[in-house]
Amino acid sequence: MKFIRSSIVALAAAAGLASTALAAEFPAKPVTIIVPFSAGGGTDITTRTLAGPMAEALGVEIVVKNTAGAGGTIGAAETARSKPNGYTIGMMPVGPMTTQPHLRELPYNPESFDYICQAYSAPSSLVVRKDSPFNSLQDMLEHAKANPGTLNYGVQAVGSIPHVAGLGLAAASGAEFTFIPYKGSAPTFKAMLDGSVDMFVAHISFLTKNSDQVKSLAMLTSERVSTAQDLPTATDQGVPMHFPIWGGLVAPKGIPAEAKAALEAACEAGMNSEAFSSRMADLRMPLAFMGSADFEAFVNAEFSKNDKLLTAAGLKK
Amino acid sequence: MDVFALGLDHVLTMSALGAIFIGTILGVAVGVLPGLGSVIGITMVLPFTYSMGQIPALALMLGIYCGSVYGGSISAIVINTPGTPQAAATALDGFPMAQRGDADLAIGWATAASVIGGLFSVVVLIIAAPQLAAFSLNFTSIEYFALGIFALICIANVSRGAMAKGLLAGAIGLFLATIGVDHVTGDMRFTFGSFEMTAGISLIPAIVGLFALSEVFMRASESATVKAQIAHNVGFRLPPFSQWMPRLWLLLKSCTIGSFVGTLPGTGAATAAFIAYSEAKRSAPNRDKLGTGEPDGLVAAESANNAVTGSAMVPTLALGIPGDPVTAVMLGTFIVHGITPGPRLFTENLDLVYAIFLILIGVNILMFFIGALGSQLFTRALRMPEPLLMTMVTVIAIVGAYGVRGNPLDLITAFLAGVGGFILRKAGFPLAPLVIGMVLSQMIENSLRQGLLLTRGSFLAFFERPIALTLFILTALMLAWPAIRWLRARRQEA
Repeated sequence: MKFIRSSIVALAAAAGLASTALAAEFPAKPVTIIVPFSAGGGTDITTRTLAGPMAEALGVEIVVKNTAGAGGTIGAAETARSKPNGYTIGMMPVGPMTTQPHLRELPYNPESFDYICQAYSAPSSLVVRKDSPFNSLQDMLEHAKANPGTLNYGVQAVGSIPHVAGLGLAAASGAEFTFIPYKGSAPTFKAMLDGSVDMFVAHISFLTKNSDQVKSLAMLTSERVSTAQDLPTATDQGVPMHFPIWGGLVAPKGIPAEAKAALEAACEAGMNSEAFSSRMADLRMPLAFMGSADFEAFVNAEFSKNDKLLTAAGLKK
Repeated sequence: MDVFALGLDHVLTMSALGAIFIGTILGVAVGVLPGLGSVIGITMVLPFTYSMGQIPALALMLGIYCGSVYGGSISAIVINTPGTPQAAATALDGFPMAQRGDADLAIGWATAASVIGGLFSVVVLIIAAPQLAAFSLNFTSIEYFALGIFALICIANVSRGAMAKGLLAGAIGLFLATIGVDHVTGDMRFTFGSFEMTAGISLIPAIVGLFALSEVFMRASESATVKAQIAHNVGFRLPPFSQWMPRLWLLLKSCTIGSFVGTLPGTGAATAAFIAYSEAKRSAPNRDKLGTGEPDGLVAAESANNAVTGSAMVPTLALGIPGDPVTAVMLGTFIVHGITPGPRLFTENLDLVYAIFLILIGVNILMFFIGALGSQLFTRALRMPEPLLMTMVTVIAIVGAYGVRGNPLDLITAFLAGVGGFILRKAGFPLAPLVIGMVLSQMIENSLRQGLLLTRGSFLAFFERPIALTLFILTALMLAWPAIRWLRARRQEA
C-alpha cells in the first residue's frame, strides 16, 4: 500500500512539474518537419533518421510531413507560410533554397526563413563509368576542349546542384558540354550505363553504393573529404570547386528565440546520436552540423554563388 | 545447391515468414484503397525495416509491392476505380463483368492471372536476371520514345465504337500531364502564373477523381427508380480449367510483355498492362468482346501488371537502378541493410538473391489465398446500400488524393477530375484513354527531347537504331492491322 501511495504522490508531482514546464517552455506539443520531396527519397530518409533522436532530445513527438512537387518549392513555400511558432519547420535542401529562386518567381526567398541548423552536407563527385577512358579530371577536360560539345553531361534536374556544378566546371575550365536533363538520379545513372551520357555529378553515398560500376574523376570539394581521403578533389587537380549537396532545418521567419534555441540544441543532439551518426557513416557522409548563425550566413553565400553561375549560363529568369 | 539451401534457410524462419504474411496482407489492403498505392505502403513500413533483419525487411517490402499491384484490381472490379494506376486497364473488363453480377468470377480471373503473372516473372528473374539487365541497357531515351509511342496505340484499342471521342480523351490526357515543370528546360507550362499549379497534375488524385468521384456523381444523378437491382454474387469463383485452355497463349504473351517491360527502368506496370491489353485487342480469341466484361481483358491486364513485379527487380538487383519509385525505396533499404545491388550481387551474395526469389514465390502463392478469402469481404461491399457505399468511396478517395503528396491542390484536382469525368462519361467519352495519355505523356515527351539532344537534333537518327526501328514498324503494323484484317476478309469472300 505504502508503495502504491508513494508512487501516486510521485506521479502527481511529476505531472505537476510537467504541466508547469509545458506552459512555460517550448515545446509543448508535437513538432512537424516538412520534407519537400516524396516519402522514401534521400532527403526523406535522412529527415526520418534524424527525427527519432531529435524528438528524444526535445521531449515531444516529431511528425514528418511530405509535401512534394515542383522541385521542392511547394514544400518550401508551405514552410515559409506556416505560423512562426516553432511547431512547423522544414528540412530544406540546397535546391529549393538557393537555386530554384533564381530560376523563376517563387513566393519565398532566403529572407523568408529563420535558420536552425545544417543537418547534412554530402560532398559531391563527378562520376564516369568504371570502364571510361578518363582517369582524372584533366583527361576529361583535355578531351572536352579538343572536341567541344561532344561530351554529354547528364543532369538530374534543370537548375539542380549537379547541373550548377557542371556549369561551374565549364566556366572554370573553358570546356563545353552538352547537358542532357533526366528526371532524377536513377534515370541519369541508367543513361550513363547505357552510354547516353559520359558523366554526371552524384552524392558521395551514390559513389559508395555503386563503386562496382562508376569511378570518381574528382570530388567537387575545396579540400579532401574526411570519409574519402583517397579521392582527389577538383581543387587538387587545378579547378577550385565546392559543391556540397546540403540541407538543414529552417523555420518561417520570426519564431521565438527560445524555440529556435531549443530546436538548434535538439538538432545538434540528434545529429550526434548513435542512430544518426552511424547511418551517416554507412553512407560515407561526414557529420556536418552547423549552428543557426553559421548556417544562415552559409545559405546566403550559396544563394549568391548559384545566382552568379545561373546568370552566367543564361538560366536565370 | 549449397547456396540455394542457404537461401532457403534465410527464408524459413519465423520472422521472415511472418514478414511475408504481414507484408502481403498490408500490400493487398493499400492496393485496394484508391489513392494509397505501393509507394505509400512501403513508406509506411520503412521505419520498421531499419530495426528488422535483412531478410524479414526484404520480405515485408516485397510482400507489400506484389500485394498492392494485385490489390488495385479488386477495387477496379468492384467499384470501377483502379486502386492503383497499374490496375487502370483491369477496370475495362472487370467492372462490366461485376455489373453483370459476376464480381466473384471477375476477382477469380484477376487473382489467378495475377498469381500466374507474378510467378512467371520470378521464373524470368531466376533464369535471366543478369542477361536481361544487360539487354535493358540497349534502351536509351530513343528506344523509350519508340516504346511509348507503341504503348499509345492502346488508346485506339480501347476506343472502338467511339473512336473520335477516345482519341480526344487521349489527347486531353497527354496534355494534362504537361502542366507544371518542363523537365528539359525547367520552365513552367500552363500554370497561368499560379504558384500552386507549378506542382502539376498528379496522376493519383486525377485517377481517384476521374473514376471514383465521377462514379459517385453518376450514381447520384440517376433517379432511384430506374436503378436496376443487380443480384451480385459474393465471394470468389475460380474460372474452370476449360475456360483457361483457349486463353493459354494470351496468358503467356501477356506474362512475357509484363516481364519484359518490367526490366526497363522507368516504365512500370501501368504501361505493361496497356501494351498487353492492346495485344489482346489485336489477337485474343474473343477480341471483339473486349471492354464488355470479357475475361480476355482481365487476363491480359492482370497477368502483365503482376509480371512486372518480379522483373522490376532485375535492374534493381543487377544494376542498382530502381525500375520504379517502389523499387527505389526498396533499394534504399537494401543499402541500409548492407546489401549492395549491382553486378557483384549475383556472384558474391547469391544466397540473398535466392532468398529474394523464394520470398517472391511465397508472396505470390499467399496472394492467391488472400484473394480467395478476402474477396468475400470485398464483394460484400457491393451489397451495401448504395448511399453508404458511395459515401465510403468518397471518403477514401479524398484521403487517398491528399495522402500522396500532402498538397491541398491535389484535393482540388481530384474534385475537378471528378466533375470532368462525370461530364465526359455523360457525353459518352471513354475514360481509359485519358489515363493512358496521362501515364505515357511525360515518358514520351521527355524521351523524345532527350533523344533529340543525344542525336543533336536529328530525327533521322532515331530510325538508325535497330530496336527503336523495330518498335516503330510494329506500331505501324498494329495501326494498320484492322485494315489488313478487313482486306483479308474481303479477299476470302470474293
